Amino acid sequence: MTRFLLALLRLFPREFRRQFGADMREQIVADHDRARARGFFHGVAFGLGTAVDLVRSAAVERMDPTWVERDTDTNHTGGMGMTTSVWMRDLRHAVRALMRVPGFTAAAVGTLALAIGANAGIFSVVDTVLLEPLPYAHADRLVRIAASAPGSDLPDEFGVSAEFYHQYREESRLLEDVATYNTFTNTLRVDDRTERVWMSSPSVSLFATLGADPILGRLPTDEDDGRAVVISHALWSAWFDRDPGVLGASHYIGGQDRTIVGVMGPDFWFPDDRIMLWIGNPMRTDNVRPGRFGLALIARVAPDTDRESLVRELTVLASRLPERFGGSADYARLIEQHRPVVRSLEDDLIGPVASSLWVLLGAVGVVLLIACGNVANLFVVRAEHRQRDLAVRRALGAGRGELVRAMLAEALVVSAAAGLLAILIARLALPLFLTAAPEGLPGLDRVELTPSAVAFTVGVSVLAALLCGLLPALGASRVDLARLRDGTRGSTSGRHPIRDLLVAGQTALALVLLIGSGLLIRSFTALRTVDPGYDLENLYTFQIAPEGRDDLVDGPSYARFHLGFKERIAALPGVESVGIIENIPLNEGVNTTRFVTERTAADEDGGALLGQTFADGDNFATMGISVLRGRPFRAADHTSEPGNAVVSQEAASLLWPGGEDPLGRRFRLRDQEAMWFTVVGVVEDVLQYGFRDTPQPLVYLPMVGPTPEAWALSSPAYVVRTERTGEIGAEIRAIVNEIAPGAPMYRMYTMEGLAADSMRQLSFTMLTLGVASALALILGAVGLFAVLSYTVAQRTREIGVRMALGAQATQVRRMVVRQGTRVVAAGVIVGLAVALVASRALARLLYGVGALDVGTFVGMSAMMMAVGLFASWLPARKASGVDPIESLRT
Amino acid sequence: MGDTREDGLSRLEYHVLLAMADGPRYGYGVKTAVEEESEGVLTPRAGTLYRVIARLMTRALVEEVAAPPDTPPHPGRERKYYGLTAQGRHALADEARRLRGAAALADERLGAVQGRP
Repeated sequence: MTRFLLALLRLFPREFRRQFGADMREQIVADHDRARARGFFHGVAFGLGTAVDLVRSAAVERMDPTWVERDTDTNHTGGMGMTTSVWMRDLRHAVRALMRVPGFTAAAVGTLALAIGANAGIFSVVDTVLLEPLPYAHADRLVRIAASAPGSDLPDEFGVSAEFYHQYREESRLLEDVATYNTFTNTLRVDDRTERVWMSSPSVSLFATLGADPILGRLPTDEDDGRAVVISHALWSAWFDRDPGVLGASHYIGGQDRTIVGVMGPDFWFPDDRIMLWIGNPMRTDNVRPGRFGLALIARVAPDTDRESLVRELTVLASRLPERFGGSADYARLIEQHRPVVRSLEDDLIGPVASSLWVLLGAVGVVLLIACGNVANLFVVRAEHRQRDLAVRRALGAGRGELVRAMLAEALVVSAAAGLLAILIARLALPLFLTAAPEGLPGLDRVELTPSAVAFTVGVSVLAALLCGLLPALGASRVDLARLRDGTRGSTSGRHPIRDLLVAGQTALALVLLIGSGLLIRSFTALRTVDPGYDLENLYTFQIAPEGRDDLVDGPSYARFHLGFKERIAALPGVESVGIIENIPLNEGVNTTRFVTERTAADEDGGALLGQTFADGDNFATMGISVLRGRPFRAADHTSEPGNAVVSQEAASLLWPGGEDPLGRRFRLRDQEAMWFTVVGVVEDVLQYGFRDTPQPLVYLPMVGPTPEAWALSSPAYVVRTERTGEIGAEIRAIVNEIAPGAPMYRMYTMEGLAADSMRQLSFTMLTLGVASALALILGAVGLFAVLSYTVAQRTREIGVRMALGAQATQVRRMVVRQGTRVVAAGVIVGLAVALVASRALARLLYGVGALDVGTFVGMSAMMMAVGLFASWLPARKASGVDPIESLRT
Repeated sequence: MGDTREDGLSRLEYHVLLAMADGPRYGYGVKTAVEEESEGVLTPRAGTLYRVIARLMTRALVEEVAAPPDTPPHPGRERKYYGLTAQGRHALADEARRLRGAAALADERLGAVQGRP
């Protein structure tokens, strides 16, 4: 802003600037800082007020003979004679002229303001989320490394195992440092406050890898042995009131007492901004068990390393793993198939959102182009109205440049007003827009209308002025003086190539957006009709962490606690049923493990890779998961008769291929030889990760294992079927306070909410692109309507003659409609061609529909043609109502 | 703000002269002094303020002077200082007298309580 104001100083006479320029600069900067400190609006008000004051003062000083005498370059700047005072006069004239046509001015300013506002808003988001660098030193050298094993039954890409970390860290010459991390929720207790918060347990090398330092205290080291914690600035502010004395204090963090040793800066986040603290994990080589994949790994690459040589080095390093760490023959075979996957960390963290945002920025840019087209059209019409006026001015000696300047001045005034209005619109609309945005987007909560977004808006306004003003200005300056002589009111020729071009261009752009949002809408409806295998309505889910109760020590004691708690919830009014499950679909993933049957157990490397979770019997009925064969768990399965299991249909067919009846058959985890389970039921498959996934083969184990120590469900999720999902949370909280005081209750969702979240990126893009394309369609239709209406009005006399000579009303209507549809058809053809290329940008978001879906392309083109026909029909009807006598008399 | 009468002083001109009456000031110092002494009524923006100073200079009421000897050096650039000429001092005194007269007249007509400043 100040840069713009300081540039205005150039308007002053040179002598004046020599005397006072530095002083004025000092005052502008100091006053701007003061105004900014009082808030955004004060800053804007100061900027506008000062700009007006500077322009006015400069104009007066230019007139002042004191400076003019000495200032030689004022009068003759050459070229088009663009002296400042002349420009000021043009602008003044423009303002006055525009005030005389309030309808035109309001339409032009309103149209542009909407489009510029949308651009400023989306740009603010792009500016904060995409253009701000990651808060790590030399972030361009940070990469994520994952594993793949083409030819195996493992997923396309999966996390590495701990031995990779050690091998890469110790042996790689191309990696400067390597770190692992995970994220989870666990209990944080400080004095009386107990909550479940998001944490991470990274290797202590994480901070060195990222190149991040704490603002207070130190970083964890190997010697801390996992008991040192670094907290986020957000946690420091919210829980500790930014007390520096927080260092050295011990608190119950993630299951044991740990010590806070450092506080990170306000800008630091990793891997997303939900993480409140990091527990330094000394990764030791002595307890590595090879082949336990699923570990997230990041690394800092040495300068000037290319990806190919890095991949080559990592492949070689991984191939030596079995020889250093041992492992099964299966592991050795997998390592032979192993190929490292290297991706830049930036792409990994914000890449998925980036594509949506760029699409949206493109879409609002297109809306701006269409708006400019409309405003340019308005100006063309206006210029034609003023043909006589302009012809007079030319006849009186006004140069062509002067006429162009006058038109440009009007466009500039309109854009400036639109730019100001747009800032207001963006400020009001941005918060609404952000509530629809997907969660977990780094930096989204910091998005606000930034100075660079305002500067962007100013730039866009000027661009808009040039776009809107230039075409009509050049067209209008080509007035023929013959017009003065023949004394008629305006022309009778109906062809206006400039305007036809504008309308065709608008149609093309609008069609591109329409096809884009059509594809997204079809994807969304396709996703909505996917059957996830469970219900979404009337389901409330939450977790509690009943730590601190002395009686909870093993599987059976936890199971008794959960079953008792479940009874209490089931007794609440309006609750139909309650179930318990370790991993709620759409919220948490499940572990995957290899299971073997009695037949495959002999094969050391055999077995099926299946998901594994823990549940009680009521989970299935409550979630609406059908039991296809056998029965769900009953109470005894969790107490007196351990060893029964329920499997999903897909899991059953992987374990016992060939349609064998799985009921009563036995299977076990491959590396737990004594622990056999018997299948008592087969249930429907579910979508664990999202609606785009294929169903996950899943094994449900009971809440208690074969021995009390085998496993314990300390904090599973509860699913509650009730119509009162809105109120039930508070009533459950009351029960928790009674049976486990202080136990945090967390991850409270409705299944509908989780479903909406899982589609958030698609629905967000669909919504905004939908709004953009609706705007484009309306603006395009309005543009066509205005052009045809104007043509009809101009051709009234010609139409009258035709009708007097016997033309029928239908013929006249057809003539006008044909003119409109020809332009629209040309636009549709161009639009289709552009959409063929542009729709690929959406490919990642689409589901169940191709980027070149014929139905959508044809449907949207038909819609565009229909709107074009309608926009032509209204003026056509008016044309056919022309009274030949009336039209010739006037 | 900028209305200048042939003989008298506009309100802003008066306050600019007043700001320099107890010694030379640099540009932004004039601005803050005007703001304070007018009790926030006058907050001249850069364009307006320097136009007024320029006008006062052409009327020879204000001149550029050397910085006062005890001024600490300003980082970056040397500031310009402006002070009253003898003529300026005169004009300020005249205006003050005129204002006093006008104020006394107002007091008299409104029947202001005597003895209060």
